[in-house]
Amino acid sequence: MLRPCPMKHVRLLVLTEDLPQASLALAQTESFHPDTRPPTESQLAGLPGRDYRDTYNQARSRLDKIAKLIEVPQTPEIPEVRVVEFAELRQLNDWLGQVWEKTSRYEEDLRRLDDQDRFVREQEAALANFQHLNIDLGMLRSKTRFLDFYVGIVPRENLRQLEGAVALADHLLHLYMQRGENAHVVIVGPTGTKEAQLSAVLNAAGFQPIPIPESLDQKPEQIRDELEAQRKDIRAQRETALQRLSDWSQGFRGRLVEARRTLILAEPLVTLDPSLHSAGHLAYLAGWVPARDMDGLTARLGETLALPFEIQSRDPRPDERKLVPTVPTRTRLLQPFALLVKQYGIPEYGEVDPTPLFAVTFLLMFGSMFGDVGQGAVIAALAWYFRAKLGRFWLFGLMAGLSSVAFGFLYGSIFGYEHVLPALWMSPINDPILMLKIALGYGVVFLVVACLLAIYNRAVIGNWWGALFGHHGVVNLVFYLSLVWGGLKLGTQGTFGNAPAALVVAALAALAWYNWRHLDAPVGEKVLVVFIETLETIIGYVSNTLSFLRVAAFSLNHVALSIAVFTLANMMGAFGHVLTVILGNIFVLVLEGGIVMIQVMRLQYYEGFSRYFSGEGHEFAPLKLRRGSASP
Amino acid sequence: MSSADRAYLNTRVAMMATQLLDPNTIGRLSQMQLPELAERFNLAPLLDEQQSPRSRSRAIEQSLIRVLFGELQILVRPMNAAERAVVLAWGRKYALFNLKSLIRGKLHDLDQKEIRDDLFDLPPNIRLPDQELFRAENVLELLRQLEAGPHSLIARQAREIYEQRREPFALEAAIDQRYYAGLVRQVMQFHDDNLQPLQHLVGAELDRIDLLWLLRFRFSYQLSPSETFFQLVPSPRLLHRDRLLALVNLESFQRVIESLPPPLDTLLADCNTVIDVQRRMGRHMAREAHRVLRQSPSGVARALAYLMLREMDLFLLFALVQGRLLNLSSEVVEIALEITEPTCPWSGAKAA
Repeated sequence: MLRPCPMKHVRLLVLTEDLPQASLALAQTESFHPDTRPPTESQLAGLPGRDYRDTYNQARSRLDKIAKLIEVPQTPEIPEVRVVEFAELRQLNDWLGQVWEKTSRYEEDLRRLDDQDRFVREQEAALANFQHLNIDLGMLRSKTRFLDFYVGIVPRENLRQLEGAVALADHLLHLYMQRGENAHVVIVGPTGTKEAQLSAVLNAAGFQPIPIPESLDQKPEQIRDELEAQRKDIRAQRETALQRLSDWSQGFRGRLVEARRTLILAEPLVTLDPSLHSAGHLAYLAGWVPARDMDGLTARLGETLALPFEIQSRDPRPDERKLVPTVPTRTRLLQPFALLVKQYGIPEYGEVDPTPLFAVTFLLMFGSMFGDVGQGAVIAALAWYFRAKLGRFWLFGLMAGLSSVAFGFLYGSIFGYEHVLPALWMSPINDPILMLKIALGYGVVFLVVACLLAIYNRAVIGNWWGALFGHHGVVNLVFYLSLVWGGLKLGTQGTFGNAPAALVVAALAALAWYNWRHLDAPVGEKVLVVFIETLETIIGYVSNTLSFLRVAAFSLNHVALSIAVFTLANMMGAFGHVLTVILGNIFVLVLEGGIVMIQVMRLQYYEGFSRYFSGEGHEFAPLKLRRGSASP
Repeated sequence: MSSADRAYLNTRVAMMATQLLDPNTIGRLSQMQLPELAERFNLAPLLDEQQSPRSRSRAIEQSLIRVLFGELQILVRPMNAAERAVVLAWGRKYALFNLKSLIRGKLHDLDQKEIRDDLFDLPPNIRLPDQELFRAENVLELLRQLEAGPHSLIARQAREIYEQRREPFALEAAIDQRYYAGLVRQVMQFHDDNLQPLQHLVGAELDRIDLLWLLRFRFSYQLSPSETFFQLVPSPRLLHRDRLLALVNLESFQRVIESLPPPLDTLLADCNTVIDVQRRMGRHMAREAHRVLRQSPSGVARALAYLMLREMDLFLLFALVQGRLLNLSSEVVEIALEITEPTCPWSGAKAA
């Protein structure tokens, strides 16, 4: 379970006529991860999928734009998988181009109506403002013999610049209202030669004149009604435009759905494009396939390709290790933990997948730090209740809750009550020293396992020097175990012991020698770096081990917090007691639960993953059709 | 920005500033041939004989822009949000170059590959949603799409102008004007020690741009004072709003030059052409940027000054490479590198 799924590198040679069929067959197996490296043969310099890809992209873009106005399902059911030839794709693209040309006119009409509606609103606001003015508004309607008037709106950002520009044309700009991004202005100036100048500036500034109705002075209500009628008319026009669009599209809606199906079927070849190369009629593509799926893939190609093809597979070379994708874990119970591992990184090919170990140690630490039957049951119940919203993550909540319940039984704790449930083992508060010792022991085992995994991960790829002398390699492990041995002796017999001390010194000397040899620096700098790194090794292992004391500390903290809650509750009356216990439990659940979660993640990521897990791999992303309901 | 971040930024800027070209180095570079230039500046595409000069020139331009943006990304890393925003706003002019290329391509119905070749490859925090814009079928659709993103102000204005006038000049002028107005707005949002040096720096750039636009619009394109003023962006330094209002109303090239404020009046005293003005203002801008780089206590202003100077250097280098690729005479190359003065007998009104 810890070992990665073995992969094969596949090299496929097909005739270019068969490429669409080959891409479909590969997509149907859902086991082919394209390799985008160019082939070593310089003759394979052609890019057979380039025109297909460009045409597909344009057609897809057109259909997506059309689908914003005419409903087209994103992933319709595909009753039959078939090959989409280039000629068909080109024809479809041309047809979609024609449809989009007409659809875009409807879109532009709708936008124009929106603009008109916005403009009528501005007019309403402007005229409401004019009603309160004690002037003859008729004067603003048109220019007089000596004065020129412009009433209208302009984008606010242009206001200041426009003010200066109209001043240069001997006009004055008066701002009388600001609404949203628009400024309402009146521009006045002498009638004369600079009108053309002004008109060009007003155009550049996006000025829109607001017509002043003739009867505004006398019948403002009537004007308001007229404007409301205009807005109703615009709404009606909008409805009509949408109806016309709907009527017009009725005739080809089915064809649009079919277009979506065609594009879904054409997609695999487009996805393969970066991996496709050719020479004449011969096309080349390469990829990664899980070893267990090799036979199925070969058989599928054999069944579907009409023309001859050649498939070769081999094991990944050591220099390709970083390029090989990692197949993610598929076990349902482990999937939520895999998501958390993914936050740190994806295992490199060959590296141990830490997910199962992460899951076990996570549940162990969370339960032991937050052991309570009642609160654990609440976490599990909440995870179950919100399972639809939490997606795959609800299982994580459920298991964390159940782990807390299990440790609650061991500690005899239920909603903080320590004497209601008989403890299967003991309450942590009864023997804190024992709890600390267990946590320390757990830490030692955790770090040793992490070192062993680090050694394995290097050894498996042939990095023997790294496995021996690298960070958390064999020499480090010898040092650590000797330190633990000496520490134990010191605790039990009062002396560190000669044998452990000799081993510690030998291991440190070996590490120092290795570092010295690999440093390219002046002697003084070498001495300093080797000294600091050796010191860091000692401090690092000691502090990392002590870091696990928090596992015991939080189990004690949980009991202590419960005692604090009950002390407060006992100071209250009956109702206050119940209320305090409920609120106290919620407080413990939210605050301590959150902190424990963070602490466990910290131990996992920092003390565990940073030792043995590079997380520099990339996920297996096989070629597949975008829907799940096609029949083969 | 914390004091550690400030120290990091200042150290970075100081280290990067050692790469800036001094006049002696430019003189030496002008003597180099393509292989030497390729080796010195790590420009492998220069030596790819299989490509056409245009492709090689384009590949070099892309490499140089990548260098500039690589350094920009390093410099913005320790900055806080406001500081980063002003530097990215400066860099966003390249995204607007791309937008203009897209608009021109759509207007002239160019082949997709041709348009794509003209686009700069920019980092994600600078670039426009190029792929989506690229698939727009006409200019209007392109601007509508752009309106939905962070460039909505520029796009809306551009679309309205395009709908009214359907001419690329007005459209591009509106895009440039919005860009510089946005840059000034970003600078004026500072209320700390960064404000003054940034005003100084961006103001110097705006003084240069405004003067060139003013001379071109008024005397080459014969626009009216009102139209010219509307296209300008008041600088936070010498050519502020009132001064621009006075300058655009003047009737001749020489009167504008004479009426400029110090030190521009003496700097440009004997200029007769827009090209002269462009060269001298370019040098003036470089001096101002060097001053900010050397003396300013503001990390963000120093970083921006460095990027402006680096951009000028990379343009010089690009001019040199192009000169070599096109086999231009050394006199022409030296004029482009501003080692020697041009001797073009153009009048101010003709030169545009």
